[in-house]
Amino acid sequence: MKKVININFQGTIVPIEESSYELLQQYIESLRRYFANEEGRDEIINDIESRFSELFQERLKGGSTCITDDDVNAIIRNMGRPEDFEEAEKGESMESGNAQSGNSKKDKSENNFQGDWSWKGKRLYRDENHKILGGVCSGIAAYFGIDPVIVRVVFLISGVGFLAYILLWMFVPGSSLVENGVRKRLYRNPDGKILGGVCNGMGSYFDVNPWLPRFIFLIPFITFFFRWGHFGPLSFPNFLSFSFSPGSFIIYIVLWLVIPEATTTSEKLEMKGEKVDMNSIKNSVLKEMQEVGERVGKMGKEMGQKFGKMGMEAGHAAGEKGAEIGKDIHYAASRSSGALGNIITTLFKIFMYFILGCVALSIIVALFSIATVAIGIFPLKDFVLTQGWQTVFAWGTLIFFIAVPVIGIITFIIRRFARIKKTNKLMRWSFVGLWILGIVCFVSLIVSVGQDFRNISSLNEDAVNLQNPTVKSLEVMPFQNINYRRIGWFNFQPFGTYGSTDTAFIGNVRIKITKSPTDSFMVSILKMANGRTRRAADTLLPRINFNISQNDSLLMLDKAITINTTDKFRNQYVEVTIAVPVGHYIKIDKNFEYGNRIRFGGFWGGSDWYYYNNNVENDYDFTYGEKYIMKDDGLYTLYGKRSDRNNDDGNDNSNDNDNNSVSPNTSDSNGGYRYNQNIDSLKNVQEKQIQTMQQKVDSLKSVHEKDVNKMKDSLQKEKDEINQKIEKLNKGTALYQNNCEPKIPGDFTFIMYI
Amino acid sequence: MNIDNTASQMRKGVLEFCILSIIKLGEAYPSDIIDMMKSANLNILEGTLYPLLTRLKNAEFLTYRWVESNSGPPRKYFSLTEKGAKFYEELETTWLELAGAVETITGKNKEQ
Repeated sequence: MKKVININFQGTIVPIEESSYELLQQYIESLRRYFANEEGRDEIINDIESRFSELFQERLKGGSTCITDDDVNAIIRNMGRPEDFEEAEKGESMESGNAQSGNSKKDKSENNFQGDWSWKGKRLYRDENHKILGGVCSGIAAYFGIDPVIVRVVFLISGVGFLAYILLWMFVPGSSLVENGVRKRLYRNPDGKILGGVCNGMGSYFDVNPWLPRFIFLIPFITFFFRWGHFGPLSFPNFLSFSFSPGSFIIYIVLWLVIPEATTTSEKLEMKGEKVDMNSIKNSVLKEMQEVGERVGKMGKEMGQKFGKMGMEAGHAAGEKGAEIGKDIHYAASRSSGALGNIITTLFKIFMYFILGCVALSIIVALFSIATVAIGIFPLKDFVLTQGWQTVFAWGTLIFFIAVPVIGIITFIIRRFARIKKTNKLMRWSFVGLWILGIVCFVSLIVSVGQDFRNISSLNEDAVNLQNPTVKSLEVMPFQNINYRRIGWFNFQPFGTYGSTDTAFIGNVRIKITKSPTDSFMVSILKMANGRTRRAADTLLPRINFNISQNDSLLMLDKAITINTTDKFRNQYVEVTIAVPVGHYIKIDKNFEYGNRIRFGGFWGGSDWYYYNNNVENDYDFTYGEKYIMKDDGLYTLYGKRSDRNNDDGNDNSNDNDNNSVSPNTSDSNGGYRYNQNIDSLKNVQEKQIQTMQQKVDSLKSVHEKDVNKMKDSLQKEKDEINQKIEKLNKGTALYQNNCEPKIPGDFTFIMYI
Repeated sequence: MNIDNTASQMRKGVLEFCILSIIKLGEAYPSDIIDMMKSANLNILEGTLYPLLTRLKNAEFLTYRWVESNSGPPRKYFSLTEKGAKFYEELETTWLELAGAVETITGKNKEQ
């Protein structure tokens, strides 16, 4: 059942099926195109229409109720299609070139083509009406009945595509009459798009939910993310994540540029594959109007209160700026004429989008991570910052420098999703202003805090009176383990993880071992701190609370320094030097292992510090938890392994210039190449001796084993022989019993009777 | 090179001449012309004819008049103008010369 409409055709009313009417329209349209430059075009077309009308009348008179597709097609066949018309030449000469098969000509002029009147099949032309560069892809697409975008993508992807394109451009004739027919075309769908409508358009073309292509694009990103962290069972196979992740982004960008956007209703219909005719256009326009009405209502509700106007403007400003730049570039590039300029623009656009995307992504990530860290550090601010200006700066930094752009970006994203387009200059500028204020706060904060660390205290070592300095062995242990509780989840290194809310413990305690010149232990403590001036730093020194006491062979120290909110953290540092007399033992408990990591060392030392550190009597490296004995020529472990000395030519690791180095103090660190030759060879000899002894023992062992085995074997053999003999005997007795014993008792009776 | 192309070229050459000949015989409208061409085994598409007629008319070789008909819209009946008649004679001369020449050449070929 088909809809029939009445048309006023050449002065008569003709009932005609709707679809037939469209066929007729198309045909006349093609004629119109064909005769575009013809003088008297209108007359010609009029004549042809008259002929149609005549034929219609014949059919209607002949009994048909209306004109059908068959009728129209038959008439068109008789009339002929434009490409089949014989035409007198328009005076253009054919360009010379190599003469190939009859299918291709070198004629490049637009409207002129040589159609073969008897060849009714489809021919390959370049489509001049739908071209982007030369219409090659459009022509190919029309010939095969597929969407030209697909052809373009194929050309872009294939390596020889460029060359093939040029060749086809040269050899395939152009025509402005290539018909497309009703077919599904791939567009970007702007309704309901998130970024560029690429996935949306693909969804419409393939009739799937647009989230499916979005998901396909996003999978590599997700797997890429998972690959960075180890999520156990969620780890994706490597090939998936690595090969796709940047690729999908690029593919998206390429498609964004190549696929046209469906702006007009007819394009949108084409995208969905619906027939583009009056009815479908009308229907879809109505539907759109409905949707718009709904959406406006919804948006009006959401918009007003939920999203403040702030961030939108800042984000929009950035977006506009970007768009402006893009436009300028495009304008500049489009002025350069030629298709080549077009290609370059497109490539450039791809690069720009990609780079901008990466930059934007990294900025966003950085901002969020800074925000998180800043919020995390905040509880500890009281330990570092003095009251007054510094706290103000700190708050200012947090709010303006960090929170503002974060909020801005969040609202920008939300705005994009909600498709709000308003701009408000005041809001935009206030946002930027606040951020600049934040920068100012941040800088002043840094400067101000830096001031407090500028100078170091004077260096004074205090000797500690030991109760029992001549004890044979000394073990250094921390005071009983206070249960250090972590501050929340926070694990930021300098502050360890210890503390309650109003005190923090800093493990800035370092232990050094030196050789005692007398035969008793000597302990001295060096305290250090930073401050705005030297005197300010000095005042902090007595307030460093460090306890030390000896209990026979145990030397108890504080493991960490306490910092409370009145004495701020100012790089306080305690160094305990223990001088061990020759022949005595020393062991440092493992709990002190991470003690000296936390200094912010280096550039504020001043000359005093360097002098001190490099000229103090040499101390020895040691491993925590291991017992050592001090001998004449150095510190040795109980196995005879020698400890390196930190000499005074600067190669010590007590004053690293980098913050928070986390290398444990092992016995084999620097200074190694200053061995004394004799000692070295002695050690080697010792080792060799041990080795040879070991070897001897081993060989003895093996010999011994061999002998044992031999004995075992021979014993075994003898055992076997004996067994055999026994068997033989057994057999023998059996035989003897069988053969040699008197068998018949009757013999005796016989003798008796004689 | 293709026979179709060449044949088509040949036909195009004589098309105008043929049509003018038909019209010379008497007033005719496009359908008629096509029928007559068909009967002479010279097939032509209507779509080719109409533009040609229009061109000839624009060159003032043809003129037409409308004739009402009861079966459909009015028809155009074409007839030769004076100019057209002169043009026709020139064409005829050209044709005869051409035909003769071709005959001669192909005849010579046949002899060989």
